[in-house]
Amino acid sequence: MTFRKLAAAALLVPALALASCSGGDGAAEGASDPSADGDGATLRIGTSGTLPSWASEDAHVGHTLFPYQAPYDSLIRRDENGELQPMLATSWEYDETRTALTLELRDDVTFSDGAAFDADAVKANLEHFQQDALRQASQLAALDSVEVVDAATVVLHLTDPDPAFEFNLSQAAGLMASPDSVGTPEADTVPVGSGPYVMSESETVAGTQVVFTAREDYWAPELQEFERVEFRILDETSARLNALQSGQIDVTILDATTIDQAEGAGFEIVDDYQVDWHGLILMDRDGDLNPALGDVNVRQAINYAVDREALVEQNERGHGTATAQPFGPESGAYVEELDERYPHDPEKARELLAEAGYADGVTISVPLVPGWDAMHAALRQQLSEANITLESVPAQMANIFGDIGQQKLEIFYFNFFQSEPWVNVQQLLAENTLYNPFETADPELTALIEELQAAPDGDSIAQEINEYVVENAWFVPLYRLDQVVAYDSDAIDVVKQPQQAFPSMYNFTPAA
Amino acid sequence: MLTFIAKRVVSGAILLLVICALAYTLLFFSGTNIARNLAGDQATEEQVAYRAQELGLDRPLVERFFSWLASAASGDLGTSWFTAQPVTATIGDRLPVTLVIVTVSILLTALVAAAIGVAAAVRGGWVDRAVQVGSIAGDIVPNFVLALALVIIFAINLDVFPAVSTIAPGAPPSVWIASLTLPVIAIVISAVTGSTQQFRSAVLAQLEKEYVRTLRSRGIGEGEILFAHVLKNAAPAGLTVLSLQFIGMLGGVVIVEKIFSIPGIGSTAVSATSQSDIPVIMGVVIATVIIVIIVNLLVDIANGWLNPKVRVS
Repeated sequence: MTFRKLAAAALLVPALALASCSGGDGAAEGASDPSADGDGATLRIGTSGTLPSWASEDAHVGHTLFPYQAPYDSLIRRDENGELQPMLATSWEYDETRTALTLELRDDVTFSDGAAFDADAVKANLEHFQQDALRQASQLAALDSVEVVDAATVVLHLTDPDPAFEFNLSQAAGLMASPDSVGTPEADTVPVGSGPYVMSESETVAGTQVVFTAREDYWAPELQEFERVEFRILDETSARLNALQSGQIDVTILDATTIDQAEGAGFEIVDDYQVDWHGLILMDRDGDLNPALGDVNVRQAINYAVDREALVEQNERGHGTATAQPFGPESGAYVEELDERYPHDPEKARELLAEAGYADGVTISVPLVPGWDAMHAALRQQLSEANITLESVPAQMANIFGDIGQQKLEIFYFNFFQSEPWVNVQQLLAENTLYNPFETADPELTALIEELQAAPDGDSIAQEINEYVVENAWFVPLYRLDQVVAYDSDAIDVVKQPQQAFPSMYNFTPAA
Repeated sequence: MLTFIAKRVVSGAILLLVICALAYTLLFFSGTNIARNLAGDQATEEQVAYRAQELGLDRPLVERFFSWLASAASGDLGTSWFTAQPVTATIGDRLPVTLVIVTVSILLTALVAAAIGVAAAVRGGWVDRAVQVGSIAGDIVPNFVLALALVIIFAINLDVFPAVSTIAPGAPPSVWIASLTLPVIAIVISAVTGSTQQFRSAVLAQLEKEYVRTLRSRGIGEGEILFAHVLKNAAPAGLTVLSLQFIGMLGGVVIVEKIFSIPGIGSTAVSATSQSDIPVIMGVVIATVIIVIIVNLLVDIANGWLNPKVRVS
């Protein structure tokens, strides 16, 4: 009788205490203990977000490419030096007009459902990517038709030359799924590719952990270094660092704020590794919303007003490289001197403003996206020294791309991918791209872009394009951001992958 | 009693319907361009329009709501727009995890807070003062700070518990216990400091009443007065506090789930909300509202059992 009243609270329980702990197969226990996996090595990766699905059509760039390399092979493999190497395609060659690309294919590859990889499979995959308004459609925009010559030969006919086409076939657009699985709802949860690993469905939990095991008799054993590959989905940077420190994962992606902690705890950082540039796009460069931005002097003034070195120190704790150009060192468009084209000079910025008729200063509005507050405050303070007032417009990340497309924003800041010149041209400069919402164009630039499109090796033209956009201040690049990939060197070795936010699956090996 | 329960169930159902309609409308007006998010930043306007049509975003709000409601009523909550998983499966996987955390936490909170609260009220003096100071100190430290401290001490330095959850559906109890110990401790410490004060005040309020003096004057022992009379009368107030704590925990568990990467409903709600994944958000809303309604109903029943006067009103 004594304790009955207080225990009345226990009344709440029976209805709620669901029988959730039904006997399991012990898989999750094994996952927390790397030594429990038998002979072969296990690679345990802490990833930063949930994938839209495991269908190859949902692969994309950056963090949404490398997991797909476990179940899927691509037509072309991009190696750790950025060179294109044979994979499912043993060789590829353009005709003289650069609008027909002939691929020779391997004839000894099967998909994990037993289907053979051949020219028809290539056709099925590429046409699927192209048709349904899927994410890869933009990578294959130039593809007109796929001609099956014989089982091991396929010709890709392009509407126009596309200097990035081979590169794209080494990326998401080149991933090959079994023709029977392409476009089916089942492919969303269980990928069917010809890749080095197959999903272990019984151990996989959507949104939490995904487990792959080595595929028997994989055609390229040298690309298959592990017996098991486990993805742990950990949204929070702190959770990923904690999981690394407690030995639950071998490798993960961190950021500048956690790099010292990871190094202090004895983890290796994949060094010298930059993929994105951080900065502003001055989208309203025609002055539709804000006439001041239509004046190149004003745009240059903003570039002079920012103190890039200070921003790298303050916001990234020194883990970045100041730059004033939107193209990266690994691309052919890079021009070293452009990194310092706009040294910090508030005086010069004010002169340029005065020249443009804004001696009293200008006001520009910038969307304030959650998570960018520190950068916002720093920029605001730096620009104010040059009479430039930064007005923040509260914005939600969920709406931001819609707002950009609808020409609601003058300026946008973000991290932008530094890729091959043609990929970047298509992403940032082309008239029909999201990041050029006001469709700014200039005959000089358009001519250069057309020239680049037709040139087999267009580095010098790409550099001219770079010089044009830097000189015309289309952007305010601030710095190239260090990628922080931390790993336990007692367990694995990792080699960086140029222009890819997380290294390719092939770049991981068990520690010697 | 049956009429009482029936009335509460009907009003609960109406509440659920109203909240669903409100949530759906608010999500519609959040202005998010979901089709653009799904299609990716490089998609053309045609691709975005195709996605919008595919998701039915081009249909009027009322039409969309009623077609969603019709499926929901038949038990089909649709499919996540971002992960292609059925919403009922997602909720079914994740709700039990959160319910286990919250239920275990509330039970421990009830036991510990009641014991400490009663001790403080009855003993008074230094015990009371220590409890008061402890409560304030506990209130000041947010539970995410506690959670992080627990991770550093027990997961990283001592390596006795995992730093992030290893729970998967079908995992054996040992995995559940290992994964949920630290999160539950973090939640319970915060909740106890809040509830102890309430228990203490409720007991003190009873101790000052006339009937206690009367009982004492009849020579009935302090122990019997406390357990047979005072606690019975103080329990409804304590239960109400606990039910509020429970509902509060459903919200507060979000941060703890994030820190420990627990596959619960809280972390699902956060990621679905940040992506405007309307089917999942609506699923979470329904699940949460139903739980809150059930908890309130159970508390009312328990109070009725403890105190017949409640049933009459």
